[in-house]
Amino acid sequence: MPTQPTLTATNLTKIIGKKTIVDSVSFELQAGEIFGFLGPNGAGKTTTIRMLVGLIRPTAGHVTICGFDQRRQFEDAMRCVGCIVENPDLYRFMTGRENLEHFARMLRVAGSEIERVAELVSLAHRLDQRVGTYSLGMRQRLGIAQALLGDPKLLILDEPANGLDPAGIREIRELLRQLAAERQMSIFISSHLLAEIELTCDRVAIIHKGRILREGTVRELISSRREMELRVDDVVRASAIVTERNLPFRTDTDRIWVAIEEPDAPPLVAALVQAGVNVFHAQRRTQSLEEMFLEATGGESVD
Amino acid sequence: MLIPLVQNETLKILRRKRFAVVAAILFVIIALVTYSQYRRLSEQRDRNWRAEIQQRVASFQNTLRRGRINETWARSLHAEINRLQFYLDHDIEPNQPTAPIFVRTFANVAGFLLLPLLIAILGSDIVSAENAEGTDKLLLTRPVRRWKVLTAKLVTLWTFATLTLLTGGVMAFAVSAPFLPRGGWTAPTFTGFSIEKGAMQLDAVRQLPLWKDTLIAYGLDWFALLTVACIALLLSVLFRSSAAAIGTMLASLIGGTILTRISPDWTAGKYLFVSALPLADYYTGEPPPYDGMSMLFCIGLLSAWALAATAISYIVFTRRDVFG
Repeated sequence: MPTQPTLTATNLTKIIGKKTIVDSVSFELQAGEIFGFLGPNGAGKTTTIRMLVGLIRPTAGHVTICGFDQRRQFEDAMRCVGCIVENPDLYRFMTGRENLEHFARMLRVAGSEIERVAELVSLAHRLDQRVGTYSLGMRQRLGIAQALLGDPKLLILDEPANGLDPAGIREIRELLRQLAAERQMSIFISSHLLAEIELTCDRVAIIHKGRILREGTVRELISSRREMELRVDDVVRASAIVTERNLPFRTDTDRIWVAIEEPDAPPLVAALVQAGVNVFHAQRRTQSLEEMFLEATGGESVD
Repeated sequence: MLIPLVQNETLKILRRKRFAVVAAILFVIIALVTYSQYRRLSEQRDRNWRAEIQQRVASFQNTLRRGRINETWARSLHAEINRLQFYLDHDIEPNQPTAPIFVRTFANVAGFLLLPLLIAILGSDIVSAENAEGTDKLLLTRPVRRWKVLTAKLVTLWTFATLTLLTGGVMAFAVSAPFLPRGGWTAPTFTGFSIEKGAMQLDAVRQLPLWKDTLIAYGLDWFALLTVACIALLLSVLFRSSAAAIGTMLASLIGGTILTRISPDWTAGKYLFVSALPLADYYTGEPPPYDGMSMLFCIGLLSAWALAATAISYIVFTRRDVFG
């Protein structure tokens, strides 16, 4: 039986003036899935998120959340969503508890929820202090706590690792994995920390200049690009031999990277040695998401 | 459904200490005025008020006889002379400072500038601060439609406008009562002086006990302040910074007042909401700055402004894109 996706974005487009900020972006999230959204600044990540949660009206396309049309059935749709858009901006002049109470009242959920979500993000001990005194990491936790109020089916987090120390990042990652696994929550994460996305997400979409360039499971995207790194004394001669075999490659001063499947590796090394090229080092490696990302976006920085 | 939202907005106004600022401003001003009233009371203890008023009437009549004043001024002098004559005829001392009269006068004096300004302070950041601090991203992504959020804000602002007016009235009595005569709530007051075709009309003058007159004046102020709250909400929706919102409100209140005083010939000025704000004054008998501004016209005008401001607020707030 096909399950209903938690979140469906169909041809989302936003045009402001003559500038197309987001161009026909479509994707789907299934229950229990963590979806990563990657892109450099100005790629349209935040605009897309703002359209998902109804802050910005799309020029074209629509969003469906848990089967509810986000525009026409806004309240039903948003009851399924917890989110942080951009920074975890909460009311600084109120305490953490007052902030949570504020949003709990909007959701009409019980007060006991506040203790539960504060416990989940390990913030219970600072709940009665003013948010103005919190560090960015603590505000991030409070933001996530707020998003978890009412046990939503979909969590949308913009840069959730921002401001957290490495231990905090790991803690939140484990929390998200646990929420996806145990409560079948769908989680949408945008991040510029590629390693983080690689570790946390099941599926990734890469957005650049308002369009999705690639989309797939993390495993698919990575395994589609396997290569072998060789350190040699004569890069020019090595390149000639690789070219003869019609293999894609790139080089620098003393290394050559060849896209090659595992069984084909030993014959290539043998051929190189036969041709008098000294091979000091040969290692198979998977291309990191970062390299793939740089390649996909034409080398523009991720930040 | 609206009650938890109003609770939220109330909490935010209180936590921002906006109402504390308003109460503090009211206290300082009322304390200063009480002190000056107390001084006046001690100075005029053994004064012949009839002689003083007769003197004022005479001086006004002299000014009129010299005839080098414009028509509007002449008209208001006539009105004032008629009013003072009325007090003389009925042997009522109009100017003795007492706590009840202070409370009553507060409605007139504060109603068109001080109180609207305080409402502007309360209301200016009710929407704009959410915008400036980025909290609107959370507020508007909860399962509550935007019109409900705005309605809660408007209701809260109305509540605080009412509270500001009540605080002003109660404080005026509480602060002045220890220093000024406290009695006289049942003393007769005269209202309903009106001008028609340049002549003082006394037919409509009614005699009311002071407490009743005070209630009516506060009721009129209340209506004016609800209108001001609607306009403050609109400014808060339109401006991202609360300073800009307060500034615009201040400029329109003061600018409008100056305009109506300086160029009463520019009759379109009667459609400004500022012209209609001193409802309590017009009720007491102060002539409105423009012809044809009956009480009904003023109330209608304020309603129209309130309605228009609210409509624009809702349209803009529910439709606009929220960017960072």
